[in-house]
Formats: sequence, C-alpha cells, structure tokens
Amino acid sequence: MQQTADQQVHNLIRGAGKAKGERGRAKMDIVESKQISEPIKSEAQISHLALDIGGSLIKLVYFSTNSDSSSSSSKDSVAVSSGNEGRPVLEGKLHFAKFETAKINDCIDFIRSKQLRLSGFQKHGAPAGERCTIKATGGGAYKYADLFKEKLGICLDKEDEMDCLVAGSNFLLKAVHTEAFTYMDGQKEFVQIDHDDLYPYMLVNIGSGVSMIKVDGPGKFERVSGTNVGGGTFWGLGRLLTKCKSFDELLELSHRGNNRVIDMLVGDIYGGMDYTKIGLSSTTIASSFGKAISDNKELEDYKPEDISRSLLRMISNNIGQISYLNALRFGLKRIFFAGFFIRGHAYTMDTIAVAVHFWSKGEAKAMFLKHEGFLGALGSFMSYEKHGFLNLKVHQLVQQSPVDASRGGDKIHDPPNGELNENQSIDCSICLS
Amino acid sequence: MASLTEDPVLGINDIKEREEENEKGNTQVVKTEEVGQSERDMASATGSSIHRSGSRPQLDLSKAAIQGNFEERDPTILLPNQSDDLSHLALDIGGSLIKLVYFSRHEDQSIDDKRKKTLKERLGISNGNRRSYPILGGRLHFVKFETNKINECLDFIYSKQLHRGGMDARIWNPDAPTNENAVIKATGGGAYKFADLFKERLGVSLDKEDEMNCLVSGANFLLKAIRHEAFTHMEGHKEFVQIDQNELFPYLLVNIGSGVSMIKVDGDGKFQRISGTNVGGGTYWGLGRLLTKCKSFDELLELSQLGDNRTIDMLVGDIYGGMDYSKIGLSASTIASSFGKAISENKELEDYSPEDISLSLLRMISYNIGQISYLNALRFGLKRIFFGGFFIRGHAYTMDTISFAVQFWSKGDAQAMFLRHEGFLGALGAFMSYEKHGLDDLMVHHLVERFPMGAPYTGGKIHGPPLGDLNEKISWMEKFVRKGTEITAPVPMAPTGTTGLGGFEVPSSKGGTLRSDASALNIGVLHLVPTLEVFPLLADPKTYEPNTIDLSDHGELEYWFTVLSEHLPDLVDKAVASEGGTDDAKRRGDAFARAFSAHLARLMEEPAAYGKLGLANLLELREECLREFQFVDAYRSIKQRENEASLAVLADLLMELDSMTEETRLLTLIEGVLAANIFDWGSRACVDLYHKGTIIEIYRMSRNKMQRPWRVDDFDVFKERMLGSGDKKPRPHKRALLFVDNSGADVILGMLPLARELLRRGTEVVLVANSLPALNDVTAMELPEIVAEAAKHCDILRRAAEAGGLLVDAMVSTLDDSKGHSSSVPLMVVENGCGSPCIDLRQVSSELAAAAKEADLIILEGMGRALHTNFNARFKCDALKLAMVKNQRLAEKLIKGNIYNCVCRYEPLS
Repeated sequence: MQQTADQQVHNLIRGAGKAKGERGRAKMDIVESKQISEPIKSEAQISHLALDIGGSLIKLVYFSTNSDSSSSSSKDSVAVSSGNEGRPVLEGKLHFAKFETAKINDCIDFIRSKQLRLSGFQKHGAPAGERCTIKATGGGAYKYADLFKEKLGICLDKEDEMDCLVAGSNFLLKAVHTEAFTYMDGQKEFVQIDHDDLYPYMLVNIGSGVSMIKVDGPGKFERVSGTNVGGGTFWGLGRLLTKCKSFDELLELSHRGNNRVIDMLVGDIYGGMDYTKIGLSSTTIASSFGKAISDNKELEDYKPEDISRSLLRMISNNIGQISYLNALRFGLKRIFFAGFFIRGHAYTMDTIAVAVHFWSKGEAKAMFLKHEGFLGALGSFMSYEKHGFLNLKVHQLVQQSPVDASRGGDKIHDPPNGELNENQSIDCSICLS
Repeated sequence: MASLTEDPVLGINDIKEREEENEKGNTQVVKTEEVGQSERDMASATGSSIHRSGSRPQLDLSKAAIQGNFEERDPTILLPNQSDDLSHLALDIGGSLIKLVYFSRHEDQSIDDKRKKTLKERLGISNGNRRSYPILGGRLHFVKFETNKINECLDFIYSKQLHRGGMDARIWNPDAPTNENAVIKATGGGAYKFADLFKERLGVSLDKEDEMNCLVSGANFLLKAIRHEAFTHMEGHKEFVQIDQNELFPYLLVNIGSGVSMIKVDGDGKFQRISGTNVGGGTYWGLGRLLTKCKSFDELLELSQLGDNRTIDMLVGDIYGGMDYSKIGLSASTIASSFGKAISENKELEDYSPEDISLSLLRMISYNIGQISYLNALRFGLKRIFFGGFFIRGHAYTMDTISFAVQFWSKGDAQAMFLRHEGFLGALGAFMSYEKHGLDDLMVHHLVERFPMGAPYTGGKIHGPPLGDLNEKISWMEKFVRKGTEITAPVPMAPTGTTGLGGFEVPSSKGGTLRSDASALNIGVLHLVPTLEVFPLLADPKTYEPNTIDLSDHGELEYWFTVLSEHLPDLVDKAVASEGGTDDAKRRGDAFARAFSAHLARLMEEPAAYGKLGLANLLELREECLREFQFVDAYRSIKQRENEASLAVLADLLMELDSMTEETRLLTLIEGVLAANIFDWGSRACVDLYHKGTIIEIYRMSRNKMQRPWRVDDFDVFKERMLGSGDKKPRPHKRALLFVDNSGADVILGMLPLARELLRRGTEVVLVANSLPALNDVTAMELPEIVAEAAKHCDILRRAAEAGGLLVDAMVSTLDDSKGHSSSVPLMVVENGCGSPCIDLRQVSSELAAAAKEADLIILEGMGRALHTNFNARFKCDALKLAMVKNQRLAEKLIKGNIYNCVCRYEPLS
C-alpha cells in the first residue's frame, strides 16, 4: 500500500548537486532515504525532538544517530565530516512522524516508548534532574503544554508558528535538492531553485486552515493572507458527508469520484454549451455542489466518491485562486504549497496548479514541497540551533545513492498502537554545542 | 368638489386587474380578449395625475407566505404614462432561480381639460412631446421561480399571456395580429438550456442576451435611476448611500448567483468579467441541502439565524487552547478552519444541529466571496464593490460577513455595498435590452417608491399567487393580525463582532438573539413617473435633503410612531365616515389600521427596513396606505364643510383688509396666514381646538394672539422687499409660487388673501397644491373651484383667475368681463406631483417645474412643507417660509420655542 513509489521522482533524483551553505556556519549531510513506517527500536539513540501540534495533526521531527545499528535505513547515509572545534558530532537521520491531534495520547505514548524524553534536550551540562524541554510550535504547543508536562514531564518550549514554517521551508528549499516540484496534468517535475533567486516567494501552508506568507529572506516574512477554507474544511465537511473515518480514506475516495454529478458546470447552465464570450468552457465548474440543489436527491443518493471529489476540487481551487491573487498583489511568481492537506495527492496538486495557472494566465506557478507537512516541525527543530542548543552541521548535500523518494509516507493510516507514520527521513549530522 | 366624487383613482377596475392576476395559478387559459379588455379598463382608471395612478393598490401580496409557494413578488415599477396596453417580458434563467421582469403598460389618459390646456399654454408646456419617443408608462413586475420548477414559471407566463405581449412588433403596433414568432428576451444559462421548452410550451423563441451585459446594464440602471439603491451593511447597521453619477465608475460588481461573477464596470456597456468563484449560492444551498435536509434556500438561510458555528468551526482558540494568536492578529474566536471541528470529534452528521451547520456554511461562503472580491478590486484599484444576486437576499448576516471580509482585508480602503434590488440585475438588464423602452432615459426623480400593505410582513419576499381583490387583502390583513403582533415585538439584534486575520469571529451571542426574518429587506413598489422633475429653483439639488427630521434617530422615530399611532383612531373614524360609514367602510378601516400599524411596527423594529426614510416618507406612507384600502379622501366632507364656512366669511375679511394701509395690511395678511394655519387636522392639538369653536372664531382669536416678534421673525426684511423703505418703491416680484397647505380657513382666509395682495401688486401667482389628498390638505383639483367661489366676492381674484384660465368652466360662460382681462396678471393653480403633507422638491410635477421657471418668489406655508420638510432648503430666488408650530417637540427642536409659536422665515436671494 505504501509502496506508491513514484518512478518519476525516482528517476529525477540525481546525484550530488552543489549547494552553497547559506550561512556558512553549519553543515549538514542529507540523504534522503526510504524509510517507511519502520519502528525505531527503543534502544535507538534518539535525540532532539521537535513538535508541531496543529489543529488536526501533530507533526514530529526527531533525530536519530546512525551509530545506532538498529536504524536500518542508515546504510545509505553518508559519512559526515568531522565536527569542528572538538564538539561531539552526531550523525544520523531526521525522522518525520505524524499523529492525529485527537489521538494525542498515541503521540505521548510514542514519545515515551522511544524514550525520547530521555534523550537529553537539556542544555549541555545541565543537571540531570533538570526537566526536559522540547521545542514545539502550532496552537497545540499552548493547548497541550500541561498534558506534556503531566504525562512526560516535558516542558514545551513554544516557537512561533509562522517563524517555524518559514524556517522549515527555507531550509528545505535550500538544503534538499529535490524538494520543490511542479505538478501539471499528472506530471511531476522537480525544480531546481537557484538559491540566489529564491526570494521573495509565497508560502502557502495548508493545514486545518490556510496561511499565506510572503517570504523575503531568512527570518524575513509577513503573513499576508489566509483562508479558513482549508484541510480541516475538507476533512470536516467530508466526514459529515461521507462518513469516512480518516482524511486519507476521504482522499482515496476522491480518486474514484466524478464531480460532475454534484457540481454545476457551465455546461449544465448553458445546455452543454461553453460560455465562450468570457472564456468559460462547458466543463468549468460554475457552482460547486450546485447540482445538489436541483435534484430531488438526498445525501444518500450521492456516492461518497463523487462528494469527496467535488469537495476536493472546491477547496483546492479556492486555495489556488486566493493564493494567486495574493501572489499577484506582491508580484510573486512562485507559490509554494505545503501543509498536510496536500499529502502528495496528485489530484489536489493538479487542481491547485490548474487554478493558479488559470487565474494567472500562466504567469504564476504553483510548486509543492516533498516534506510539505513538516515545515513547522522542521522549523521548530531548527530553532534549537537558533537558541544555541546545538549546531546543525550542514555539509554539502551529497546524495550518493539513488533514493526512492516515494510518497509512501502518505499511506493511509490509522496507526495501531501509536505506530508512527513517517515521511521521508533525512540523513544529516548535528553538532552539539 | 364634484371632481372628487368622480375621481376614479381606486375604481373597480383595479380589482379586475387583480382578479386576473390571481388566475395565474390556474391552468385555465385567460382569453386574450379579456386580458386586453381588463388592461384597458385598468388603464382608463389612470387619472390625470401621475400619482393618481401611483396610488393604485399594488399586487404585492399573496397567500404564499401561508401556503409556502415559491413565486416571489418584488417591487413593481409603475409606469403610468404609457400609451399602450401591452406587456413586455424578460427572463433571467439561472442555475437555481428564474427571474422574471414583466411590464404592463397603461394608456395615458391625462385629462386635458380646458383649464389644463390654458395653463399649459401659459406655462409654455407643450403637450408631453418633449421626447422623440415616449418613456413607457406602466409597471415593471418582478417575480422569481426556482429553476427546477420551471413549469410553474411557464404556467405563470401562459396564464398571464405575457408571451403574447412580449413582442416588439406588437408593442409598437397593438393592432397587429398575434405573432406566432414571438420573441422574449432572456439571459442566463437557461436561456440556452430551456430554449426548446419555451418554444414547445409557449411557442416563443428566447432571444438570448449576454448574461454579463445584462447584469451590468441592470446594475447601472438601478444605481443611476433609483435613489439610495445602494447601502452599506456593517454590524447589523444599514446605511443608504447616494452615489454621485459622476463618480459611479469604475466599480466592481459581484453577482452571487449559483456561482459568482466579478465584473469590473467602467461605464455603460463598458465592462470586463475579471474573476469569479465556483463557491457561491449554489454551493451554500447544495451543500446545505445535503447536510441539513432543508427544502429551500430560504429555509436554510433561516436556520442559520439560530445557529452557533462554534460547534463545527475550528477556531484559533480551539487550536491555541483558548488563547489568541496575537502575534499575527488572530483572536481566539477567529475561525481557523471552517468545519474543522467536524474532524476531531467522534460525532456524526446527525449529532450536529442543522442550524449550526447552516451558519457555518454561510459564514464560510460569504467570507470567502468577500475576500476574493476584495483581492480582485485591489488589482484594479476599485474602491467600491457592489454585491448583488440572489444569494444575499437582504440577509443581515450574509451582508455583515461579506462587509467584514472586505473591510478587514482592505483595512477599510474598499467598501462593500449592496443593492436593494439585488436579485434582478440580470432580468432587468435583459428587459433593458428591448429597444425603445425608454428606461435608459430615466432619472432618479422619475421614480417613487411605495410600500404596500404586505411589506411589513413579507419583507419584499412574497410567494404564491397575488391577492385578487380588496376583499382578499382585507382578509389577509385579518389573518395576519397574530403575525403582526409578533412583528411588533422586536428581537434585539446582536452586533456581529468580527475580527481576526484569516477568519472572523463568531457572533458574540448565540443565534437565538439574532432576529428572524426581520433582517430581510423590504422592497417597495417603484412607481415610475416620467413627468416628475427636480424643482428647478433648488439652489443645490445635489445636497438638498427634504427632511428636517431624520428618522434614523430612534428617538425621533419613536416619537412619530407614538404621534401617528395616537392619531390613528381619529383618522380611521374620518376615513370610515368619508365612505358613508358602511360596514364595508368599517372593515376597510380596520384593515387599514392594521396595515398601517404593521408598517409602523416594522419600522420601529428596523428603521432602515424601507430604505432611507424621512418623516415625509412616513407621512406619505400613511396616505398611500389609506388609498390602498380605497379611502380616496378621508377628509372629503370635513374639507368641504370648512371650505364653505370659510368662503362665507371671506368677503368680510377682504373688506376688513382693504380698509387697512398697505403696511398694516401686509402684516395682517402674514398674521392671517399664520393664524389660519392653525386649522390642521394633522395636528392633534388643533383637532382638540376644533371642538371648541367655529372657524372664524378660532381664526380671529388665533390672529389676535399673533404677538410679534414671532419665534422666527423676518417680517421686517420681507416687508422692506415688498414695500420698500421711504420713497423707494421696489419692483414687484414677477411670479410667486405659493405652496398651500390645508383646506378651509388655511387656504381661503390665509393664503388666498395673500395671493390677492400679490396679484394686486402685479405679481403673477401660482398656487401649488397637492396632486392627491393628504389629510385635509387642499388639492390642485379642488382649488379651481375654491378660487371660483372666492372670485365671486372679489374682482381682483376674478380677473386674475380668468387670466390664469381657472374660470374657464365655472365663470366664463356666465360672466362677460373682457374689460379686466388684459389688465390682470394671472392666478394659476398647479399640482405639485405628490400626495403627502410634505413635499420632496426633488420630485415635483412638470407643471410645477415649468411654472417655477419664471418665479422669483416662493412662499412655503404650513408645517409639512415649510418645517418638516424644506426648513433648511435654499432656493435660487426669494423664499418665505410661514408656519405655526403645532407640535411641542418640533417647536423645541427646530426653533427652541413652544407650541403655537410662529415661523416667518424670509430668505432673500443674496
């Protein structure tokens, strides 16, 4: 199931490309590796956990050392240059995991079971008895602070959500070669971003709601807009309309749906004809769910697949349109879409891309990020560095072996026993300060 | 007064028409002949006065509010000067709704009697041929159907034979045989989709008009021709906006139908569809139906008013544990994700209340539309966004949400505005696409809006078949007494606080405190009166505001509510008596009282319900309401009695005046006007007085009490203008317009002697009186007879009246006095174009406008015309405002004085 490997991606991944370490002070080796839902054994040397607790999902990023033989995927990782200044250098991987916020106890159990809390997030040299703090962002960092304290004895050190999103996005766009891609007509195409030409760009993070952020540089950004019609709307409305048990199930349904059953198309109004004068083809959606009014059909008479499809198109298209209009305001040509709504879902990306393309008449481009869901968590993780707890040692990005950058991490999950759902892990090294 | 009894204003023909309309539900075919006959009858009921026809009862009511039918009836535009009796139909067939605009025309039967002819010649009015083709007279009716019930629409058209009249060919050639190739203008996608159906069922072809084109021409028409068509709506508060024609363009028009179109409008016929969204009214209704099982859009909308979206929407506070995300300005109550809560709980659809779902959906869609609209307006630097289309439906919450989104995202730079005729832009535009309808030429002052009896109940949304006759109307009123009492009890409206980035706050209170139904707009009947004109002597018509009293001040409204309510029983008595006190008259009187009380209650509840409302409008509303229940002239007998009594003593008074010196006489005349103004049935205080003495007694007593200085006393300045100082004899005024007030002593013992003095001094005098009765105000119809009577006692008046053509009927045959004829300046009578105790000088009769052209003195007399309205009006000539204040509150407010204080305000042209 999870092996929905995307050969396209696979083939596109190239060997090492040179990337300039932007700030020059940190290096990190990154290797993308296929690591799907592999439970990390409890003895794994895990450290540096960061959280992004959103309205629907909790995203985790944590680091595990390569020295731990149990980390099976470490074989692809690259030797890391030695740490400087005599500081300990840990080599390993950044792992990504997610839980439903509603099942936060699974997440807590997971952290506990992996002994993450023991992994020394204390400031170096702090007394052992001192309580742990971990970086966290998202609204839940506030909402669940007490719960973490109570259950794990961990203090959540709150990082600003937008800061984290931007930091995560900047990091990914610079450090990971095959991070950004366009998606049109089912064709995924990775885009090499010239680091000197990265800014400004529009970052659209589609979580439960949607934030639109104009990014002008590292740490330089402004939340310019947003919409309350986001992933939560898709899932929420979808649940009510289809009885699906999970977001992914709902998404899966949409694959098989036909929105024409429910949406009112221009052709439905114009008797099958285009409204050519204003450039609307007969298949343009005139009114999402508009057909649901004119029939004597009830909810039960519609197929969940069709409903899901219609809903997905409505929301994707809307986000694409609002994003474009905001990008236009600031003359931004590139719009990166991220957040858990997308989940590498082809149709979603396609719709968003089409909306941006349509409204901008091809002027603006929608791009997507492979680690779309983890920007905040990654940014939160990066904030350790910011606060001097550690230095990420960023080496030249070297990707030695072809990597299956499958979207397997997006598998439908209702994880039993709190098993984590991982996205791709990133091999890297960190240097504890 | 004979003319009054012949007044065909509310003749039986109206009932016929309504009966016919009532047949629309039937599948029976109404024979074309009958239709034609009936419409001709109806047309003949149109009197000489434009407003006369305007006073006809409107057909805006139906039982459907009771029966749950879906035909909606909206404002009717009355176009009374039409010289044809055929109909005209245009359609806008959208994805959800079919909007119909149809037009019935009336024959112009203006009474061109000798007097009018003479007057017109004198005033230089050619007989209505001022245009190359006539503006159509008649009514525009607005009706809508659900598209999935298109058969109802077809039945409706068929039963009214609208398709037969809807042909250009027949309109301009009524005698032509019924054309088999009838063509109806239609727009919207359905014009394509249902073309065959129309052909098959009705034998008509749909002539497709471009949808955007229609929307834009409809919007341009409304924004130009209808005063205060647009309004803003923030936090439950409506504010009407008059948009300067020169600053109208460019604007963004957002039409929210099933989908949403966003159109940049740069001028007439100049526009571009720049954007749109597929999340529109169809989405709300469609999703809403699936989620709530509601059976209609309106039901769904109504549900939303009881909802609390917090149970379904994920708020910032839900994510942040009740905290704000203050750094980016998101408050805890901001909606982070619409329907976002539906994911995290183990609740199923059945566990959510339909009310909450509806509200959540409504906010999501409204806010989204507002946001996208603003972003598009921004692209083109458009500051004004007009929202129209059937999604809005005057729904307060929808408008608030849209306004909030625009306000929020634009940081106040752009403004969301709404249109009172929001749903009919396309249909109206399709109608406009018929050539030669003349609507293009319409100006703001040609339209008069009236609110028929059903308005307070139905908010302009009336379903089902129209009421047939007066009897049905009365029954309807009786049935709705219970509902009426509900309406009387206003429900407080909680302001919708909305803040936050990326979302908006939930209402500060739960839906229970949101008013139901009351938020809907009331749309009145628009009477199109092509002959109305702006009074040419207004110094600045653009800034002119007739009303001195602003009823948007709730205290004022409350006061007038009380005054009018208290006066109501007396008025009903008078009205019933005027119709002979029969059982029928009593029943009508009761119905009138209920209807008018309902109007008042509705306005108390929502002062902006009827648009921008001044006291003048409120008083006119009462008169219209009376006329609606066929009380043609409630004060008829009283007026007659008082006229007779006053005429009886006029000779003595004139003799007394003639014995005075010029200076004393002028003062006495002004005193007389002020004193006689006490005879006012509109004033409670004065009604009490009447029971205590005879007219002449009261008059003399009143005049003797006229102690100068009056509260406002410019008499000396006026006197100097009239008589000069020392040897300097000023040039007399060329022509004076005397706006008269009440019948009886007021006009006969007050204004007529003053007119006589002016005539004596060589000033032409034009008496300006109401076109239609209002309280005991004298009408232009009554004046010639009064003048004729008075002329029997006075040579000056007689010669002037002759010269003015007033005596053509009454006197010329009996008198042969050619001697004085040439030596006198004329005394004329013109109608002012209205039927209210007040006067809005933006809309006066063409007669008055013509008469004003050579006038250099205006005298406004009485509270209604000089105080309640026009107290602050400025003119392009000398103006004298005379009134006795018969109302303590007004006295305090306006002149810081007391009841029975007098106003003599003279404003010379500087």
